[in-house]
Amino acid sequence: MELSRKDFLKASAGAVGLLLLQPPTLALAKESQTQEGVAMLVDVTKCVSCWWCYAACKNYNNLPETIKPDPEQPPPLSPDVWTTLHPVKKGDGWVSRKQACNHCTDAACVEVCPTGALSYNEMGFVQYDKDKCSGCGYCVEFCPFGVPQLEGNKITGVAVMDKCTFCQDRVANGEQPACAAACPTGAIKFGKRTELVQEGRERVDALRPSNASAMLYGDKELGGLHVMYVLDDAPEVYGLPADPEVPAPVMVRDVLKWVGVGAAVAVVAGFGLNYIVAREAKMTAELPGEEYIRKRKDEKGK
Amino acid sequence: MTEPRVVERFKKRTVWFHWIHTAAFLVLVVTGAILFFPGIGGAAAGGLTRFIHRIAVVFFVGVPIVYFIINPKMSFHFIKETLTWGKGDMDWAQAAPLYYFGGDEENMPPQGHVNTGQKMWQFVVLATGVLFVISGFFMWFLKDALSPGVFQWCVILHDIAFLLAFLMLLVHIYLGVIHPRMTESLRSMWDGKVSKKYARSHYGKWYDEVAEGKK
Repeated sequence: MELSRKDFLKASAGAVGLLLLQPPTLALAKESQTQEGVAMLVDVTKCVSCWWCYAACKNYNNLPETIKPDPEQPPPLSPDVWTTLHPVKKGDGWVSRKQACNHCTDAACVEVCPTGALSYNEMGFVQYDKDKCSGCGYCVEFCPFGVPQLEGNKITGVAVMDKCTFCQDRVANGEQPACAAACPTGAIKFGKRTELVQEGRERVDALRPSNASAMLYGDKELGGLHVMYVLDDAPEVYGLPADPEVPAPVMVRDVLKWVGVGAAVAVVAGFGLNYIVAREAKMTAELPGEEYIRKRKDEKGK
Repeated sequence: MTEPRVVERFKKRTVWFHWIHTAAFLVLVVTGAILFFPGIGGAAAGGLTRFIHRIAVVFFVGVPIVYFIINPKMSFHFIKETLTWGKGDMDWAQAAPLYYFGGDEENMPPQGHVNTGQKMWQFVVLATGVLFVISGFFMWFLKDALSPGVFQWCVILHDIAFLLAFLMLLVHIYLGVIHPRMTESLRSMWDGKVSKKYARSHYGKWYDEVAEGKK
């Protein structure tokens, strides 16, 4: 019994040690995303709703089904649709806002991803490693834009998330993302973020005299989006939240995690202390039987 | 006829229930903790652990239901016992530090079938069980119907339940298996019995009731 207890202690200590050896990769130790790097500037005033970005995305990324979509029923983002249009009826025609991952500088999805499948790329976008995805869907539920998509078995929960990759391999090789390359009107521009912020501001200044609601969306939001929009109307009209935020539970969760680690370490350390003290007390305490024997001996001695 | 030297603390079916439930919960803890504690999430890659989590939860929820159907009386007694708190519990709390560290048994008031500390554990098991099941049910089956905000707080609820249950589980294992004075605790959950001596010193009030034949 004594030995097995010792073994148990050793094993527990080992397990806790292993837990502590893991480098703290999340939350407090997280390296922050760059506001610099590459970006895209989407100008809704130049979009003609041709859906070429949608087709080019599907084509380049080998995603199934490319039918020219109906603006009345635009295909929503899904694991097979990484880029789509958010069409808005204006007058007789349609104005569209290209919809895909906005590659936030402060990305809720990266913060909540438990496996590290989602991470910040040094070039400025939010990359993901599909092999690491556990299909938990936290990114789907925490993204302020509702971008990451996941379709899996509802019962087993097995699923893999998908979203726009910013055509990472193309960009890494000095090319534009497929959607930007395909855009015939210059509504999707790719370049250095600092330059695109400048360009976006100039474009808004040019629109302002005739349109007071013209604005650049994404230069400040969530630490700066890496997909920014020149809008000629309120963000909500184009399906964008006016004031996107990393949801509060993200921070609560970060705090809970480290409270958990701290409390677990404190509790186990408390056990160690308790064991030493309680064992000592038990060893020194006289057992009733021993007391009886001692008394008998004393009586005999007399 | 010689009197037996042991008294029964738990029925065989309770012992079985305890260990099946324990196994299910340990699987849930391991497959859940990797999504909670920082830096170990890589173990969840591929989603297999999330599938195992769902299999384990069938037992975690199913076994208590089966137990309840077989033993409604004992189950109600367990719930009543868990929710009954009084002055005696304050007395226990006052005596506990010296008892668990120094082994001061004299100032520890005689305890019933479970002592106040065990009752705290039972309470955490019940309360977090409810939290776990509700938030988990929402996240599993109502994901598409829920607004993202509700889902997010379900994750937090699940986290809080985990934290409470996990920390108390550590205490439960330590006291049941390792603490120098709890020499027959593990045994009582193995064959359901403890020696009369152990019962007298650890659960004096209960032992007297048993000895008087009240139970």
